[in-house]
Amino acid sequence: MFLLSLGRIIKFSFQDIGRNIWLSIVTMSILILALFSVNMLLTVNVISQAAIGAVKEKIDVNIYIKPDTEESKIMALKAQISGLSQVKDVRYISKQEALESFKDKHQNDPEVMESLKEIGKNPLTPSLVIKPKDVDQYQELIVNLNSIKDDIIESRNFDDHKLMIDKINGITDRVSEAGMVISFTFIIITLLLVYNSIRVAIYTHRREIKIMRLVGASNWFIRAPYLFSGIIYTVVGVSAIVVIYYFFLNLLQPYIETFFIDYDINLAAHFRDNFINIFGLQFLVGIVVNMAASLIAVSKYSKV
Amino acid sequence: MIKFINVTKIYPPDIKALDQVNLHIKPGEFVSIVGQSGSGKTTLVKSLIGEEKVSKGKIIVGGWDITNIGQREVPFLRRQIGVIFQDFKLLDKKTLFENVAFALQVCGQTPKKIKAIVPQVLKIVGLEGKTRRYPREVSGGEQQRAVIARALVHRPKILLADEPTGNLDSINAEEIIELLQKINKFGTTIVLVTHNREIVNRLKKRVITIENGVIVSDQAVGKYML
Repeated sequence: MFLLSLGRIIKFSFQDIGRNIWLSIVTMSILILALFSVNMLLTVNVISQAAIGAVKEKIDVNIYIKPDTEESKIMALKAQISGLSQVKDVRYISKQEALESFKDKHQNDPEVMESLKEIGKNPLTPSLVIKPKDVDQYQELIVNLNSIKDDIIESRNFDDHKLMIDKINGITDRVSEAGMVISFTFIIITLLLVYNSIRVAIYTHRREIKIMRLVGASNWFIRAPYLFSGIIYTVVGVSAIVVIYYFFLNLLQPYIETFFIDYDINLAAHFRDNFINIFGLQFLVGIVVNMAASLIAVSKYSKV
Repeated sequence: MIKFINVTKIYPPDIKALDQVNLHIKPGEFVSIVGQSGSGKTTLVKSLIGEEKVSKGKIIVGGWDITNIGQREVPFLRRQIGVIFQDFKLLDKKTLFENVAFALQVCGQTPKKIKAIVPQVLKIVGLEGKTRRYPREVSGGEQQRAVIARALVHRPKILLADEPTGNLDSINAEEIIELLQKINKFGTTIVLVTHNREIVNRLKKRVITIENGVIVSDQAVGKYML
């Protein structure tokens, strides 16, 4: 009996959508636009996190040591710096390692290589490369490193990477805020459109509803097809956005790869790995929004 | 059995549609309710099918006190009272068979039962040969017969006919009344709300006359008095 009624409710629901097909298409299109903007927001978030991660990876502080310093003294300084709470890792680069790295870097530049030959000896100094634990503690780390007074230190290189990170964060925050406003606007429009679609569907079927009431159909049976329409809108909307968005990501991917060269940012893979979290959540929110709109419209207009 | 005990219905601010109405209709009776427009007939019909709540008094249908009937119980009441209105209220895009079947579908009946019941009721109302026709393809009288068939599918104990002949010519109107009499002979209580003087006088059945919400006359074999 229940399954029979459920089957009829689904049938009536599809009939409702079919009889107001253009309005239904507009409703679903706006829902798809809303979901597209939400996914764009997520994509911007993934890209900005990757960008910040890339910049963070590159942040380090170099302390250059006087050329003829005994290695034991350098190791003592290394141990002292490693003891700082803001430090994640300290790497010692000897004169020889620095030279090899330099040669490697400039192997295709004959002028540099020729100059190096002319000098006749290794002009580079040993150094300590310090990686901070947390970028937010960068300034504290600089202060602590500056407070170390050791004769073996020749120079210090503290580039202000934090400024760059703050800029990226600032841009990301602004993009996210704009995305949130756009998504919220679309969600409100979707809610109003679903509400209106159900209202029009009820108006179109007012005679049918009147007959249903007259012959003893339960309130549940009268209202359920319209509530079910809300579910159909969500299922169609989310299914469409999955297809559309993967297509869009595949178009976007080559540009991302070109822009973030050497970094592994695969947007499609990210969306695939988090499929349930991303699209499942969108489905749930969509159901809640559509059901809420349908419920309000049905309880207000189905009393014909 | 239908009982109205001291029923009063007041529409805000102070319009009395029904005033201390006392009524007792026995099972299997054929009762005509007559009255001018605005006399309270429609309010009486609406209170009987649970569409309007009365302000005072008590309404009992088949031993069931429906005075303060809940929204969830109304559908069960409507399955016990078949209702026919002046405007036929058939769905244009459904055949006569589908229109009648619709009443069973929306109440959860199985396709097997629907296939068994619908032809039976369509035969009772004399539409057995026109089941596949659409409402626009049959006469007004036949449309009203289909409405009666739809009202009968739940095998109601009471059939409430509110101006069932209002949109029909005299021949079709006569046929509908004959059909109602036939249904009454099967034991169904018929409550006929009408303006039609000729029909009421020819029926020679009980007539209740309402004026300004008050029953002014209740005759066992009555005539149209207004």
